[in-house]
Amino acid sequence: MKYGFIRWIAVCAVLLVGVTVGATVLITVEEALELAFPGATTTRETLFLSNDQRSRVEKDSGVEVSSSLATRYVAKGEDGAVLGWAYLDTHRVRTLPETLMVVLGAEGTVQRVEVVTFREPLEYMPREGWYGQYEGQTLDDDLALKRDIRPVTGATLTARATTEAVRRVLAIHAVAVQEETP
Amino acid sequence: MIGRIFMRNGLILVMMGIMCWLAIPVAGATPDDEKLRELEREVAELRAAVEELRALGLAEDRLTEIERRLGILAEEMEDLKVGEAAVKVSRDQTISGLGPAASKVYQKEQGVSVGGYGEALLEFFDDSRDDGSESGAVDRFDFLRAVVYFGYKFSDSWIFNSEIEFEHASTSEGGSASVEFAYLDYLYRDAFNLRTGLVLVPMGWLNELHEPTVYLGAVRPRTENRIIPTTWRENGIGAYGAFGGFDYRTYVINGLDASGFSAKGLRGGRQKGAKAKAEDFAWVGRLDYTGVPGLTAGVAGYFGNSGQDLEDSGGDSIAVGTSILDLHVEYRYRGLELRGLWARSELDDVARLNEALGYEGNQSVGETLEGGYLQAGYDMLAGRGKSSLTPYLRWEQINTQQDVPDGWSADTANDERLLTLGLAYQPIEQLIFKAEYQNIDNEAGTGVDQFNLSMGYIF
Repeated sequence: MKYGFIRWIAVCAVLLVGVTVGATVLITVEEALELAFPGATTTRETLFLSNDQRSRVEKDSGVEVSSSLATRYVAKGEDGAVLGWAYLDTHRVRTLPETLMVVLGAEGTVQRVEVVTFREPLEYMPREGWYGQYEGQTLDDDLALKRDIRPVTGATLTARATTEAVRRVLAIHAVAVQEETP
Repeated sequence: MIGRIFMRNGLILVMMGIMCWLAIPVAGATPDDEKLRELEREVAELRAAVEELRALGLAEDRLTEIERRLGILAEEMEDLKVGEAAVKVSRDQTISGLGPAASKVYQKEQGVSVGGYGEALLEFFDDSRDDGSESGAVDRFDFLRAVVYFGYKFSDSWIFNSEIEFEHASTSEGGSASVEFAYLDYLYRDAFNLRTGLVLVPMGWLNELHEPTVYLGAVRPRTENRIIPTTWRENGIGAYGAFGGFDYRTYVINGLDASGFSAKGLRGGRQKGAKAKAEDFAWVGRLDYTGVPGLTAGVAGYFGNSGQDLEDSGGDSIAVGTSILDLHVEYRYRGLELRGLWARSELDDVARLNEALGYEGNQSVGETLEGGYLQAGYDMLAGRGKSSLTPYLRWEQINTQQDVPDGWSADTANDERLLTLGLAYQPIEQLIFKAEYQNIDNEAGTGVDQFNLSMGYIF
């Protein structure tokens, strides 16, 4: 038994001891907000889109908007200046939903994308680094799979759903900004 | 001004809220009757409040109260959309707008998930071999695989996942029904999770990612059939995770069974979790760098004995030390996808193994098996929606008898080169149709070219 079972268990034990670092899988909305806007005051807001606004969002983003309701957090600094927004977007990936937090900076470009809930199997979730591709994105033709966004082998549907969510959020934000501008 | 879009006019927003609630399909949700009834009650109360407002005239405190309740409704509707994994925020905190929420990744308390894939393959074989002799190959139309995934989430930490596969459509015609994998995961950290059960051996490209939509080619590359014998699954226990741009998996599994090895490779050595001989175990590990979007590059190794108490004519056991190493890389940029794999296997005690198995002449199991391929495809519809049209080219070389023991000869037909030229069309990402021509050469001149058509789906 050159390669005995006991020997391999010992190898596993060494590996177990070796792996002591790593971020937790769990992240709350609060933690995601703190990551995006450290120390800022965040206020939850609910947007009710009119039918016209919803149509505009669908046209601008090119993706389906299944709800007239949008939830976002606005982050403000100590001086009251808006630092950015964090939108929650819930959508189906394959057969089950996920909720993403899409964080926009004060100028309206994407700062980060955080996965808040993910009910598909772990194998369908891209690694953290992959979400970095959305940083700095704006709503244009290059915000698409196989353009600025590189797909993930084995997680194409998640990549598609994420890209669509980011497009949807950017379009909703544009509508909101338009409404808020006198 | 925010007021125009957010809650300012109580009456209009109450009506909008009600309309939204009635109109929004609860996509992907698990509707909760009790929650819905509660929402109905809330709406009824809001309607009464609106009537009251009409009678009294708009009062700021009443408007504030309606806004508060609308906020609650909005949150409840959101929860329904997400189902049990909903973003949970305390109501008071929500309305004060400072709400910490308690949602978690993989928060769903319990539940079954179902998925599946399948593929059919039509193969037309050339009537003649490369040397001009008759091939005798019969064209074949096979429903290769129909697969169902079942998963169950017991808690935040414990998850079961499985794949049940029906191959070649019917057991009465040589097909089979197999559990392709069935394992329990214990989720601890991104960097460290545990897995045990019937696991997919983490080698090559296709063994773990073998849905037809995930790879180019109607027929799997030969290297990932004979040296890495996809779909290769064994019983075992191990760990997996991701850290700093790397993904890893490390398992201890029951070893291959050398009594199934042949001149054509290791494929017959798979034990598939079925009453597997557990006299010899093996370690298999994989490390991939995935830190740059679009790039995956890594190495995988398998080391263990495959003798499983096989004895030679003298009654001594034959260890058959077996090692397999692979290097793999994939790069994707816009419509371009490049993929490469190199795999090499080395076996000990092959001469004794050959004798124990009764092999003769050029039937020897290879002491060294080596193969690899390079593949390129370009999606001509990249970035234009959900369809893709990808011409692809794959060059592959494999020799399952690269080295044989002294006194044995190799069958030169096992020294092969394959050139595959194909086209893959995906009307949507979950469906794929492939057409390809394969020029198959071997050193014996007995290669038979073939043309393949396939369809595949995943859900």
